[in-house]
Amino acid sequence: MSAILVNGKTQEVELPISLIELIKKNNVEQPEMVSIQVNGEFVDRSNFDTTQINANDEVDFLYFMGGGSR
Amino acid sequence: MIKPNGFTTRIIHTPYAREDAHRALHQPIYSNAAFDFESAEQMELAFQGRLPVHAYSRISNPTVENFELRIKQITGALNVTALSSGMAAVSNTIFMLASTGSNIIASKHLFGNTYVFFESTIKDFGIETRFCDLTNNEEVKAHIDENTVAIFVETITNPQLEVVNLKSLSDTAHEHNIPCIADSTLTPPNVFNAKDFGIDIEIIASTKCISGGGTSVGGLIVDYGTFNWSKSKKLASYAKRFGPYAFNYKLRREIFRNLGACLSPFAAYLQSLGLETLQLRFEKAANNCREMGEFLLTLPQIKQVNYPGIAGSEFHEISKQQFGKYPGAMLTFDFSTREECFSFMNNLELIRRATNVYDNKTLILHPASTIYCDFDREKRESLHVGDTMLRLSLGIEDIDDLKNDLVQAINKL
Repeated sequence: MSAILVNGKTQEVELPISLIELIKKNNVEQPEMVSIQVNGEFVDRSNFDTTQINANDEVDFLYFMGGGSR
Repeated sequence: MIKPNGFTTRIIHTPYAREDAHRALHQPIYSNAAFDFESAEQMELAFQGRLPVHAYSRISNPTVENFELRIKQITGALNVTALSSGMAAVSNTIFMLASTGSNIIASKHLFGNTYVFFESTIKDFGIETRFCDLTNNEEVKAHIDENTVAIFVETITNPQLEVVNLKSLSDTAHEHNIPCIADSTLTPPNVFNAKDFGIDIEIIASTKCISGGGTSVGGLIVDYGTFNWSKSKKLASYAKRFGPYAFNYKLRREIFRNLGACLSPFAAYLQSLGLETLQLRFEKAANNCREMGEFLLTLPQIKQVNYPGIAGSEFHEISKQQFGKYPGAMLTFDFSTREECFSFMNNLELIRRATNVYDNKTLILHPASTIYCDFDREKRESLHVGDTMLRLSLGIEDIDDLKNDLVQAINKL
């Protein structure tokens, strides 16, 4: 197991894990609306399934409410 | 699943952000101010922007959000914010980008209230507007300096009906690391794709064509996520954290939130409904406009007709390139005197005397004595708003009825 930071809280995950798998693991609400930063960089929605998460990565699930990032 | 491509299909079939409890076919009107949370922890996450829920309707609201999402579907924008009026969209955008000491490049050919906002309102905050001829790139370049924060343009100016080469203008803006802002109210999204012309922020008075017949007042800020905000003095620190979302982040979490110019849920409902028939209505109105313009040209009492959709207009070719077959649904024409203009207006029976454009009804107005009444004649003439000019916004009535009204009004002069 490896530690990563999700929305500011430590989480233990088994690597390898893709961003799309991390979304499912965290039961992220309305995944079609979420914007995701990995280590401060926004990940394009089309790359959610190919982006791999590494140990110590910081992942933030963000919503820009109201006409936000669908 | 079929992915809709057509303009109107995309509007009508925009998914709700969250499934409706009753499977309502129209997004219901959530007119409440506040929303409940299951726990303090959920509330904290929501305020951090880490949950897709609404907290307070001045900040976001499900009915307003649905309208915003529909605009996103047809524009391909990164973010859309709906506001209480077109002028709220203008003022929020300028306050996003400018501070004391900044300057903005714009033409003096602007909607009257926008002109006063630039010429007077923001001047009081130490923000300068450098008015110049936006059809002349060299003149634009000569006005830009290190404190220039935006170039602002109307896609068709109101009421001068001037049309700038938008790609050339946005290229100039980007060469100087400045965002290009366009008010595209007279060319709605079914005829003008702002992103294709390098527009970074699009402003639309949704009161006009979108609202479905002047049903309500509203405005839109459409952010294409195309500008590199690290080049903006005011947004550079946000760009480090939020990349292409920098503009939207500061807008939603500070400027829009704190200025409080939110769209009411009821107006959002009306405008969302109006949006569904935008394409149908606008094409009819624009066809009416072209036909009316050509008809006016045949009348000896009319001294001049101005409409980019008419061959012979100096902006005809550039309009075709930018707006296709439908370069707006508004024209201007001139009588010989102001008195003739007034008498003609008073003789009209179907066409309404009102200060709006793109209603379903055809509307007429004498700009010099109304929108520009606070300026003296010399100033009005410098803005190319003459005393003999009338502005006609075509509606969706049957064109023969409109022509008949016009002819009977002229015959009574």
